[in-house]
Amino acid sequence: MRPEHWLYTIPLRLRSLFRRTNVEQELSEELQFHLEHKIEEGIANGLSPKEARYAALHAMGGLEQRKEEIRDMRHIRWLTDFFDDARFALRSLRRTPGLTAFVAITLALGIGMTSATFSMVDGLIFRPYPVPHPGNVVSLVGTTHDNPYDSFSYREYLDIRDKTNSYTGVIANAGMEAVGFSAEPGTTPRIKGGTMVSGNYFQVLGVEPRLGRGFREEEDQVPGRNPVVVLGPDFWRHEFSSDESVLGKTILLNGTKFTVIGVAPDSFPGMSTFGHPDFYMPLAMARVFSTNIGKNFFEDRDDRELGVKARLKPGTTLEQARNELAVLAKNFEREYPNSTRSRGAAVYTQFQARTIEDENWKFGVIFLILALAVLLVACTNVAGLLLSRSRARAREIAVRLALGAGRFRLIRLLLTESLILATFGGLAGIAIGYGVVEWFHSKESIVFATELPVAIPFHMDRRVLLACVALSVLSAILCGLAPALQSTRVDLVNALKSADVDVPGRKRLWGRNMLVVAQVSMSLMLLTASFLMARGFQHDLMEGHGFTKDHLLMTSFDPRLIQYNATQTQQFYKLLAERMREMPGVQSEALTQNVPLGNDDFDGVAFVPEGFQMPPDRANFNSTMDTIDEGYFATMGIPILRGRAFLSSDTADSTRVAIVNEHFAKHYWPGGDAVGKHIRLDSNAGAPVEIVGVAQTIKTQNMADPTDFVYMPLAQHPVARMVLMLHTSGDPLQLVQPVKDVVRSLDSNLPMLQIRAYQDFYLNQAVRGPRIAIDLVGSMGLVGLLLAVAGLYGLVAYNVSRRTREIGIRIALGAASSNVLRLVLGKGLVLVGIGIVAGLAMGFALEQLMNSMLFNSGGVDILAYAVVVPTMLLVTMLAAYVPARRATKIAPTQALRYE
Amino acid sequence: MSKPNDLVQGTLDLLLLKILALEPLHGWAISLRLKSISGDVLQVSEGSLYPALHKLEQEGWITAEWKQTENNRRAKFYSLTRVGKKQLESEAANWQRLSSAISQVIGLEEA
Repeated sequence: MRPEHWLYTIPLRLRSLFRRTNVEQELSEELQFHLEHKIEEGIANGLSPKEARYAALHAMGGLEQRKEEIRDMRHIRWLTDFFDDARFALRSLRRTPGLTAFVAITLALGIGMTSATFSMVDGLIFRPYPVPHPGNVVSLVGTTHDNPYDSFSYREYLDIRDKTNSYTGVIANAGMEAVGFSAEPGTTPRIKGGTMVSGNYFQVLGVEPRLGRGFREEEDQVPGRNPVVVLGPDFWRHEFSSDESVLGKTILLNGTKFTVIGVAPDSFPGMSTFGHPDFYMPLAMARVFSTNIGKNFFEDRDDRELGVKARLKPGTTLEQARNELAVLAKNFEREYPNSTRSRGAAVYTQFQARTIEDENWKFGVIFLILALAVLLVACTNVAGLLLSRSRARAREIAVRLALGAGRFRLIRLLLTESLILATFGGLAGIAIGYGVVEWFHSKESIVFATELPVAIPFHMDRRVLLACVALSVLSAILCGLAPALQSTRVDLVNALKSADVDVPGRKRLWGRNMLVVAQVSMSLMLLTASFLMARGFQHDLMEGHGFTKDHLLMTSFDPRLIQYNATQTQQFYKLLAERMREMPGVQSEALTQNVPLGNDDFDGVAFVPEGFQMPPDRANFNSTMDTIDEGYFATMGIPILRGRAFLSSDTADSTRVAIVNEHFAKHYWPGGDAVGKHIRLDSNAGAPVEIVGVAQTIKTQNMADPTDFVYMPLAQHPVARMVLMLHTSGDPLQLVQPVKDVVRSLDSNLPMLQIRAYQDFYLNQAVRGPRIAIDLVGSMGLVGLLLAVAGLYGLVAYNVSRRTREIGIRIALGAASSNVLRLVLGKGLVLVGIGIVAGLAMGFALEQLMNSMLFNSGGVDILAYAVVVPTMLLVTMLAAYVPARRATKIAPTQALRYE
Repeated sequence: MSKPNDLVQGTLDLLLLKILALEPLHGWAISLRLKSISGDVLQVSEGSLYPALHKLEQEGWITAEWKQTENNRRAKFYSLTRVGKKQLESEAANWQRLSSAISQVIGLEEA
């Protein structure tokens, strides 16, 4: 019965909504009809026409009120009311364009900044994987003492895949890496980013290729057998112009022929937050790509390069999966004690994975908190403005109330107004949000200095826009509710009597005062935050790094890109070093695996110091390490404190040696001499390595304290990808072409990666990158301050205008300027004082938060407060002083005449 | 005219539905019919009649149509819908139950 009931009522409701004039007309006609008949009846009963009409009207009790009651019966009343209110609000807003614009802009700034930072947090943490049913995709990781988010090896992955029951599918992928790509044989390879994935990758994730197909399980079975590749959507667009004939084409990756079998869809840019692979290869082809030399990718259980994800089976809980994996990890430990000691495993949801994997999200959260503070200031500003505006309309409101409007109805009217304002603000805010996100994207090249396809994951997508809308509605309610409630609580008699409706009671201004306090405190917190952040980065920069940064030219090589084997690679580097040493303008050369203060993570080394008794739950200690050649310390200007640097006599056949930094030496042999001691690699029974030198500790990572460090010689610890550093006598960039010539003479096919001066590289990393963050926070601080100033100015000016008559009388009675100033400013300054105290408290809390999340420096930064608080005081006092001064200039005669 | 008795709240709906069940009428005719059937006891004021009619229309129990009266004037005629008929039956049953219960209490012998 119900559906056909609706079938009848819905057209009726729609009609009331959209054909209002018709409906209204009919109503009038119907009542008119009734009226006429009643008059006729009256006349028939003997009354005169006039009397009959009077009696009829009297009986009908006022046509208009009847109509209003009838209208109330229509169930869509609230909607038609809303449209009416909106139209009225637009009209009255248009009458005060200045105020409207100011409010809209204020809200826009708040909403815009908040939505932009929300896009950050969304991109870094919340956005679900771009696959169907992302909710049941979990990450499986290894856990050790030092690393809660470690990768698995190939063998471990196979075991996990085959020996667990909690998942419908288990996939694996290596990290994105540099791959030499040629579309045609014979052309110089270009660096692109590729990711190796397991054969079931696309199928388990549920990704339908745009073209062709994904990998099949059998294509990933036998190492080296199936050289197939799936292209990423952007790569296909740029490189092949979306040409569908690319299917079946042969391309060269690191010199090996691969066949294109498919293209991933646009909806799938990749599973990683930052990297969007140009193409995907099967794990079975690992020998072609940058895997560890010296380890067998397919066999060695301790060659851990794979990230593992899986889909939970429906009905299986995360707890069950965790327990199962923990048991499996214990089995690994038991069966393979050499490669798996004190190593657990865990299963993480997407949220956990994103927050544990790295720390970028913490920045996003702090930015979001700050942006919300700006929004709050904006809202309080707007609320204050709306409050004064509704005071001005007090008469109109009183009349409405007197005519019988319900209080709730009036509140609805006023809220509609603030909703309209918030809509304007929201739309403009979206535009601002776009602007901020675009600005971020324009800085991409500074933040990521690499050839790989890395992108900033902030986008104004549907989710962010939805957040925008929600924010607008929220701010409308926030701004509009208090003024609406207050202004409808009017004393009708007073309101109708005079225009000046305010009785300066203490209760009245309480709301307004709170607003000012809130604004001042938020603003102070924002300023403090930007100051602290700037100082934090500055502090990091100022710290000596321990090595020379100027006159350094750097470029990296990866001979695996052109299929060099291990011997060829070593030979190449030896020749390269020799030729570089001979080049005029070069004072010294160095080869290193990673540069300090760079983007790449350093390798780690597991070891046991000779003669140490290891605690029962640990097989070894860990340290970061670097592989270098003999020229490193000299080129980088790092002094050797004890012992020696590496020599050409340290070869693959001689005793294995290593150099440690002072931090390491003090850590393991405090008070003794590390030179001459030995460490054993991986475990107590591992190969012994003699320490032959102690180097000065340098800063290897941005915003982190120096740690243990171990250096190993390239000759004894072959690595494929190395960075060439040249200490030049003149401008390093002068040598770019000569270096290119030398490399080309050695092998014309070998691409050189990122040739540039270290100084520029460092500036980008350490200075310009953080500068972006500082700019963002700084601008938020500034906006907050401006809004607070505007708010305070508005309050004082309003006070003055309200009490003009009173002030005029006081002046006429002989009050001096200073008295008037004190009168007007007094309350304002008290509020500012309270606001500053509150702001200090919040700023302090924020500082602790920032310390724990970002910078490792603890304690309280007094200088920050010493600068920010007086600035705030000064600015706010000025803001209050200007209108207050005007008060002193009030001519008493004018004031008294003022109505 | 004698003073109209107060109608029990909610029974107005029932009365209107029943009258329209007999035949489609416009608002004025409805008030006349109600007065005549009840022997002048039940007189509904205009202030209650039209809001009630519109409410019934919004609920979908009666439907309206503009037609010509005998005097060739345009009027809005209401008639009962099928859903309205069911509503009438249920409300009539309720009224029966309520009124017989009240009668029973009133009919008790006083001591």
